[in-house]
Amino acid sequence: MRLPGLFISSMRRNRAYPGEHAWKGWPYLLPAFLVYFVFTFLPILETIRTSLFDWDGISPTRQFVGLQNYTRLIADSQFLTAFFHNLVFIIFYCIIPILVGLLLASLLTRRKIKGFTFFRTVLFIPQVISMVVVGVVWRWIFNPTFGPLNVLLRAIGLQIWAKAWLGDFTWALPAVGSIGTWVQYGFCMILFLAGMQRISEEYYEASSLDGANAFQQFIHITIPGLRPEIGVALITTIIAALRVFDLVFTTTRGGPGDSTLVTGFLIYRSAFLQKDMGYASAIATILTVVILAISLLIRRFSSDSKGEPA
Amino acid sequence: MKSLKLTTILAIIAVLLIASCAKVATPTEPSGANTTEKTLVVWDQFYRPVESSVMDTLNREFEAAHPGVKIQREVKVLEDLELTLPLALTKADGPDVAQVNQGRNSMGALVQAGVLLPLDDYVAQYQWGNVFSTSVASRNSFSADGRVFGQGSLYGVSPTAEVVGVFYNKDIFKSNGWKVPATFEEFEALLKDIKAKGITPISFGSLDGWNAIHEFSSIQHLLVSQDYINNLTYGVNNVSFDTPENVQAAQILLDWSKAGYFTDGYPGIGYDDSNNLFKSGQGAMTITGSWLTAELLTGTDQQFGFFLMPPYSGKTAMSIGGVGIPFSIRKTSLEPELSAEYLNWMISPRAAELWAEAGMLPAMNLPADTKVDTKGLFGDTLNAWNTINKNNLVGHYIDWATPTFGDTLTAELQKLLGGITTPADFAAAVEKDYSAYLAEQSK
Repeated sequence: MRLPGLFISSMRRNRAYPGEHAWKGWPYLLPAFLVYFVFTFLPILETIRTSLFDWDGISPTRQFVGLQNYTRLIADSQFLTAFFHNLVFIIFYCIIPILVGLLLASLLTRRKIKGFTFFRTVLFIPQVISMVVVGVVWRWIFNPTFGPLNVLLRAIGLQIWAKAWLGDFTWALPAVGSIGTWVQYGFCMILFLAGMQRISEEYYEASSLDGANAFQQFIHITIPGLRPEIGVALITTIIAALRVFDLVFTTTRGGPGDSTLVTGFLIYRSAFLQKDMGYASAIATILTVVILAISLLIRRFSSDSKGEPA
Repeated sequence: MKSLKLTTILAIIAVLLIASCAKVATPTEPSGANTTEKTLVVWDQFYRPVESSVMDTLNREFEAAHPGVKIQREVKVLEDLELTLPLALTKADGPDVAQVNQGRNSMGALVQAGVLLPLDDYVAQYQWGNVFSTSVASRNSFSADGRVFGQGSLYGVSPTAEVVGVFYNKDIFKSNGWKVPATFEEFEALLKDIKAKGITPISFGSLDGWNAIHEFSSIQHLLVSQDYINNLTYGVNNVSFDTPENVQAAQILLDWSKAGYFTDGYPGIGYDDSNNLFKSGQGAMTITGSWLTAELLTGTDQQFGFFLMPPYSGKTAMSIGGVGIPFSIRKTSLEPELSAEYLNWMISPRAAELWAEAGMLPAMNLPADTKVDTKGLFGDTLNAWNTINKNNLVGHYIDWATPTFGDTLTAELQKLLGGITTPADFAAAVEKDYSAYLAEQSK
């Protein structure tokens, strides 16, 4: 389906207005580019360079070791465990929030609901709270002694389900992951709500005249219409799942054992606690490459048949 | 609008840069302005209000006793200090005296870089051997090349101290007729009694992980020899972690967990939360360091006491403990004599008095006529520290042993207590970390 907005943008791509030189736009980019260059691009280059050294982060000298940090990485079972946990986090940060977001968005748009703004705001609130606050609050909710979750479970007679959530080898990862779900679904919902308002009402009218039910409309009109939004949601939530640090840092610090260890925390631990700056930089570099690759892949799939970016 | 915002940001950055340059320029001013005056530049990390005022008082009194000497103090949080100090110590206008964190990664690296002054001459001149036991001094000692930790020259003196032991709730003990145990056998019997009364014997939470090392190592310190714990921590004489004593200590800890001696659901409780539970009267004891003292003296109606983990009957035992971040002298300082005098003042009886008044454990003895209240909880921790310091029984934080040791111990203890591994697996897994480090070091 070709949407009017995209159509116009494709016509205007890479073209200056008549009588105007394309280069004129570039100087305007300079201030933003300078900031980007100094605070984003240079640090990335420096990280890649550091990954080739053995350095404690303090000493004035550092030893060039070539790709040794990378060969260590491949053999490091902790890194592989951590990366596997990041993949599990994609379920909690990406797949579940997108499904929940789609469900909530269609519930809120297909029927006129009293207090629409109220529900939308309340459902979006988790997204705007600082992650550190979220972590501290959920740590308290999960507390086995006085946390509301276990208190509730005991109150309704399910005391056998009450456990030390964040300290349990089986449950710690899903527990931390579900906090991620709680944070991310609001973002997906808002994104889809905006997208749905753009889909023309006429498609729904025409299809219901042809006898389509609500579910068929959802599958054949809503989902294809939301393709660009789903693409954006996929990219941002998968990136969030791969670079998660703050939530693990404030709740479990990778424990118990290694059961919630993620690459972001491994980078912090190697760099600042174990003073192994080269190794930490190697992990960071690999993580960046993986995130870039996945983002490009999703962009490709979420763009339409003629290769327009979403 | 966007570019306007950016120009504003750039303008702010420019102003900040100029401001910071101006700030950097000031330190050289006083020495140039008045040549007869001596300026001693001191960097410390006592930034919390109470600590900071102790330092201010000490500096003022030092200046008063040395006319013409001006102390230029710079306070930083530890992270900042650790990041900026290495470079500053190589500069001609760097700090004369600075607090240098202990361990291989900090003091060791600086000794290796040749920027710290060995203090051997002043140890003799000021008789610091009488102030600290050898085991305390070795924490601030390195070989001249900075590679051997715990031996060689002294490079710093520490004003404050820490000791890990058992805090207990006096009210709970009193109402049940329990006494402070004198032996480890009595301690274990007490745990059983407390549990039988339906009270949590040891308030504990292992969610944050690091404090589990103290629970384990407190028991370990009773079982191993002093040589062993020194060798292990300083990485000398090729000892192994996989020993019967360490397996036994892990087994005792696991038995306590299985017997329900720890707070219910402790794997999911954080360090601060478990302390709050203890403070509110839930739990008869907790095993942690003397730094908790100030916390337990305010905001609670409970009375608390402190004792060292008691040794097996007929034996003596070390306790985990150590001294705070030491003061060192820059090798290229133009005022080494004055700096050494300043260090001596930092560990004087007067300094001990001021730190004790502030509720912090001084590393050196208090003056005989001290006005500090040495009864109560603070007195308990003070006596505990004096006992182990005088008898040379100060043990170690074993997580110093290798750069990754703390993280490995934390993860392996959680696995042990979670029933994932056995005590034998635990010792073997930690030994793997340790032997890898020794192999790396001997390269």
